[in-house]
Amino acid sequence: MSPQQLNMAAVGFRNWARALSKGKQPGFSALFSQVRAASGPSKGMLPGPYPQTPEERAAAAKKYNMRVEDYEPIPDNGEGYGDYPQLPDRSQHERDPWYSWDHPDLRRNWGEPIHWDFDMFIRNRVDTSPSPVAWHTMCKHLFGFVGFMLLMFYLGEKFPSYQPVAPKQYPYSNLHLERGEDPEKQPEEVKHFNI
Amino acid sequence: MADYREAPLATRPKTLDPAEYFNLSLNQRRAEEERAGLRAQLKRQYQMQLNNPHRKELIEDPALTRWVYARTNPYNHFRATKKTSLLGGLFGVVPLFVLYYVLKTDRDKKEEQIKAGTYDRKFKLAY
Repeated sequence: MSPQQLNMAAVGFRNWARALSKGKQPGFSALFSQVRAASGPSKGMLPGPYPQTPEERAAAAKKYNMRVEDYEPIPDNGEGYGDYPQLPDRSQHERDPWYSWDHPDLRRNWGEPIHWDFDMFIRNRVDTSPSPVAWHTMCKHLFGFVGFMLLMFYLGEKFPSYQPVAPKQYPYSNLHLERGEDPEKQPEEVKHFNI
Repeated sequence: MADYREAPLATRPKTLDPAEYFNLSLNQRRAEEERAGLRAQLKRQYQMQLNNPHRKELIEDPALTRWVYARTNPYNHFRATKKTSLLGGLFGVVPLFVLYYVLKTDRDKKEEQIKAGTYDRKFKLAY
């Protein structure tokens, strides 16, 4: 931080401490007094309440660097948006990659009004750009393939098919000596085949 | 591509958008010119600051400051309406009770099984 900014931060802190120590309201509410450091933007440059009159609308449009006709505040339903503008829900993926943006990775110019959900629409996250193939085609292809494979595997489980097998046949009279039987005793004849 | 239907929540490609071909009225053009004017002003301000050889500090973006302020201070303009109360209750109050109930019943059942000796430890590593 530059010495100028540090100085301003110190001024802000001193004001806060002064307000807390000898403010007219006692204790905690002194923190919310009207005393505010001059180090940040003025009250008029920050977002405010929902605009009621056309003059307020014009002032808000000017504040956000938008045309008065383009400026449309987010509908006021108590959710705390204030006078913030409603911008189109378009992801940064859709912006021209070849234009010389001031911030190329964000595809944004300096001073341009930021969408409320800007951090969702950056290029690492949600992408609203048009899909190369129509949605119903993609759905059909994916679910068709997956469904077909599931069906075939299920049928394969139900109706297994493999080469015919028989019990294993051992030589030397069914391994008579290896199995520990009496070497003198004659082993029984087992016929494995018919010619 | 006459039957192209865009994906839900996605947009139409610019080349398939009919407004591009039909909205060439004077008003539209004037609007575009005004927008280009605003853009050029902002570009100029940024470039002046960027290329200023005496600048030692970061270039502050007031739009960013406003965005951060708006996102971090929604309670200044918060009002308790039906919708906001419902959402607040649904996300803040109901999970407390539901989770307590679910976890308590599950663990009580397990405790009873252990006490009765019928608990089956499926993936035990130690004996």
